Amino acid sequence: MINYWWLSSFAVVGLFLILKWLNGYSEKPIIKSLTNPVFLAITIIAVLLVSLDLPYKPFFEHTQVLSVLLEPAIVALAIPLYQQFVHIRKNALLILLSCAAGIINATFVGALLGLFFCAPSELAASVAALSVTTPITLLVTDSLGGIASLAAAMVIFIGVLGAVFGFIIFRLLGIGNDQAQGVAIGTTCHAIGTAAALRENPKIGAFASVAMALSALLTALIVPWLYPFLQQALL
Amino acid sequence: MTQLKKRLKSSIQFLLSCAIILANLFIAKLIMHTTGGSFPAPLLGMLLLVTLLLTGIIKEAQVTPFASPLLNFMPLFFIPAGVGFIEHLELIQQYWQFLMTALLLIPLTSLLLISHIISHYKSKDQHD
Repeated sequence: MINYWWLSSFAVVGLFLILKWLNGYSEKPIIKSLTNPVFLAITIIAVLLVSLDLPYKPFFEHTQVLSVLLEPAIVALAIPLYQQFVHIRKNALLILLSCAAGIINATFVGALLGLFFCAPSELAASVAALSVTTPITLLVTDSLGGIASLAAAMVIFIGVLGAVFGFIIFRLLGIGNDQAQGVAIGTTCHAIGTAAALRENPKIGAFASVAMALSALLTALIVPWLYPFLQQALL
Repeated sequence: MTQLKKRLKSSIQFLLSCAIILANLFIAKLIMHTTGGSFPAPLLGMLLLVTLLLTGIIKEAQVTPFASPLLNFMPLFFIPAGVGFIEHLELIQQYWQFLMTALLLIPLTSLLLISHIISHYKSKDQHD
């Protein structure tokens, strides 16, 4: 039987490029967020594999060439992080503290929910690092013993939710400060939220970019120590 | 001849940028391997590179030739891993209430907390 799995990498790249091109055509902010190429690519591939009853393992093995590049790409995240450091000097402490508060809150709420729903440990660990960009979530969740792929899918979905409903929530609650909106969206809804923030207002987008970069750093520093501590303290 | 020189120069810059990023990753992996810690090595590599950039030991321009395409196509690299949740569909079905609650409550509480902290301090600043 011919092995068609070797086509997987090409299929993923092709699908992603088509979706990215289509996403560029949509002008309405909500449509742009809902048609996010990563969100759609993962959904389409997952639906295809499940509906055609195809196994995930050979797909993953034959797309290793893409997954292998994730590690150097994470190291390269140092560049936007360094670039944003220059801009936060003026409000550094406030942004740093509020980002840290958001990340600690996300891990704490995740741990509490895990306890409340009596979730198995691997599932509870999967929601410990959701307030950060996807590549960081993959690594941190894996190091905590969680299901990295589930956390990644949840983080992407949170990004879409934040991009669609984030600014509606701010309007309902009367939060009009640009810095407050930007830092909140950047920390909780990472790249997809930041893209929506940039479309909403460049100033909000700038704060969101800073917060997204900072939350990547803070999550890497805080969550691997905080989560095991919370687990011990809450049990 | 000058075009050849330019191409050679950009190729060397690309290779140097590639070497810097991979060296950071390698050192981070070596540190984690020797210490036996559970901290993810690529994240340590990222922190090492940020430190090198902030201290001026490495210049931003030295890293961008390889870093820019990597960052531009980064979403592509985690699509295969992101699809992996289909291996846990039974677990997801069993605990869907937990996952749905986490999906809504975690971002909502963080969003409200952060925006309120900053709004509070900003309004205090204006009154002072």
